[in-house]
Amino acid sequence: MKLVLVGLNHRTAPVEVRERLNFTENRLPEALSALRQDFGCEEALILSTCNRVEVVAHPEDGCLRTDRIKQFLYDFHNLQPPCLEPYLYSLTDRETVRHVFRVASSLDSMVIGESQILGQMKRAYAAASGAGSSGVFINSLMHRAFHVAKRVRTETRISSSAVSVSYVAVELAKKILGELSNRSILIIGAGKMSELAARNLVKFGISHVFVTNRTAARAEEMAERFNGTAVPFEDLLSNLVPVDIAIVSTGADSYVLRKPEMQRVIRERRYRPLFLIDISVPRNVDPAINDLEEIFLYDIDDMQAVIQANIEERHKEAQSAEAIIAEELEAYAHRAATRQAGSLISALRGRVEQICLTELERNRNVMTPDEYERTERMLRTTAHRLAHPFIQHLKNPDGNLSRYEHEVELIKKMFRIEEKE
Amino acid sequence: MTGLLFNLATVAYAVGVLSSGVFFIYRKKPFFDAALVAICAGFGLHTGFLIARGIATGQCPLIDLRDSLAFFAWTVSLCFFISYFRYRVQALGLFLLPWVALLMLGTFLVRSSPIPQALRSSWMYFHVLCLALAYGMFFVTFVAGLLYLFQERELKSRKPRTFYYRLPSLDLLDDLFYKFLIAGFGFMTLGLMAGMIWAEQKWIDWHTDAKVIAALLTWCIYLVLIYLRMSVGWRGRRAAFINVAGFVSVIFTLVSASFLGGLHKF
Repeated sequence: MKLVLVGLNHRTAPVEVRERLNFTENRLPEALSALRQDFGCEEALILSTCNRVEVVAHPEDGCLRTDRIKQFLYDFHNLQPPCLEPYLYSLTDRETVRHVFRVASSLDSMVIGESQILGQMKRAYAAASGAGSSGVFINSLMHRAFHVAKRVRTETRISSSAVSVSYVAVELAKKILGELSNRSILIIGAGKMSELAARNLVKFGISHVFVTNRTAARAEEMAERFNGTAVPFEDLLSNLVPVDIAIVSTGADSYVLRKPEMQRVIRERRYRPLFLIDISVPRNVDPAINDLEEIFLYDIDDMQAVIQANIEERHKEAQSAEAIIAEELEAYAHRAATRQAGSLISALRGRVEQICLTELERNRNVMTPDEYERTERMLRTTAHRLAHPFIQHLKNPDGNLSRYEHEVELIKKMFRIEEKE
Repeated sequence: MTGLLFNLATVAYAVGVLSSGVFFIYRKKPFFDAALVAICAGFGLHTGFLIARGIATGQCPLIDLRDSLAFFAWTVSLCFFISYFRYRVQALGLFLLPWVALLMLGTFLVRSSPIPQALRSSWMYFHVLCLALAYGMFFVTFVAGLLYLFQERELKSRKPRTFYYRLPSLDLLDDLFYKFLIAGFGFMTLGLMAGMIWAEQKWIDWHTDAKVIAALLTWCIYLVLIYLRMSVGWRGRRAAFINVAGFVSVIFTLVSASFLGGLHKF
């Protein structure tokens, strides 16, 4: 495979180090051409995000030396070696492929399963292609990595659960109310926070927004932004009757909703479920309201708890993702090995023919030209037949990779073939 | 032939239940596909059994209690397909199909003699058909109500665990619950009326029969459930108790004739 990777990420390096090593998009072409011209890389790709800086390269002499890439990082960023030493990791061949697959599938991300990394990788690859620094090795690696990422995304639930407060609100709303179209929401307290939370719910289909606020003017303003309706604060309880979701954030220092009055609201709602989100600190909704059968009350801490549970769920899913990556890595290595076997096959053919024909040459002067010609034809066919089973085996390996590699070595040794690369 | 089809159908259902269980735990799609294939196979074999039995006896295969149980199992299975293809609730199979398998096994336990030729009429077949469909739908109602409760508990606890990730939204479960409740109730009413007309025609005194009383009690329970839902909007945990009572009553109605005797002993 002949691939190396040098880099650091959010686990190995603090943000001060990561930002020192950052490559801005407009300096990428310059960096890539430096790698090719001065640091012995035939192909190179730089992935630089706020959580990682990684250089993937195919060295021109086939020698897997990572120190030159490290040197490049020091030189390009005007740093003194060995200040980066504790943070950097360097990987070769198989480990490089595994790492690139894991990064693309978002298993190496700070929040696993996040979707941004794939886009960042695609941009890094586009930059490498644009700078002419991607060739056979990087191309096949990156295409495969994108394929693996897609498989992980579709075959596991690694990114299906919400991990931010506003998405958790949507997720919970869907668990309670099903489809969100034709549902309505009441925003109690026209503040920045509640607007943000409501914005996301509206994006997922909430059809009507009601806003209420102590100062009516601010309610009007926000209602206008949502194409909704402002309703008077004095009728708060009766306004809770028609809606399906209520977001509370008033900035009051006492409860605006209490249990006894909510009991009445429930009856008037004919026991339809109500999703009540209290994003105010201190809380504006009496926590005892959650004891009421039809009200699902979540405050900020509750939503954090859901996020935590979802993250654990993602970690469980990561195990299936790792299995996919192991499988893909094996297949990738297999293909790479068979590609390499191509040169061995022609060498093997030549070698067997050579053995047969040397014997013929030795006996040339005891043969008539006619005999010589016939024998030569015969020996060539023999050579071909002799090499055939070996070639067939090299072309269609049946066992696992390490056995195949072992067999390749064995054939080389038996036929005294020196690989020249 | 019929025996073989029946046994194979039972085995296929059991396989379906097992792989639904594995799917529920590990949530790997192939297990669910396997479960669906097994259930489809079970349903096909089951249908084959009913047809073969009909051909063998030369009439509608509903002439003894064992027949009606097997047919009832078939309607539960049918209701599973209707609800699955309409609502795509993957967890439904795990909670609904064990009942199908149990009913299939139950047919080995009941003793019954065929209904006398004199009493057979199309009203009778209509009676059994409607009630089997009604009870099948009440099974779905029961399971949907149960799943609603599980999901509601998890959402109330505000600590998502097993069910949160595996069950659909409360709204969907409620919809499933309500639609099957109404449809089941409709079929039950039709079935009971057909039974009464049939009995009147044949001059049978049905008012004191144990199974008839049990069935009327069941009907009343579901009537109350529907009434409370339509008038004050009870659902979820408030309706759960009545839902469970209705289900127990259905089971009791099904087996009552076996130990209480009466008109429905065939």
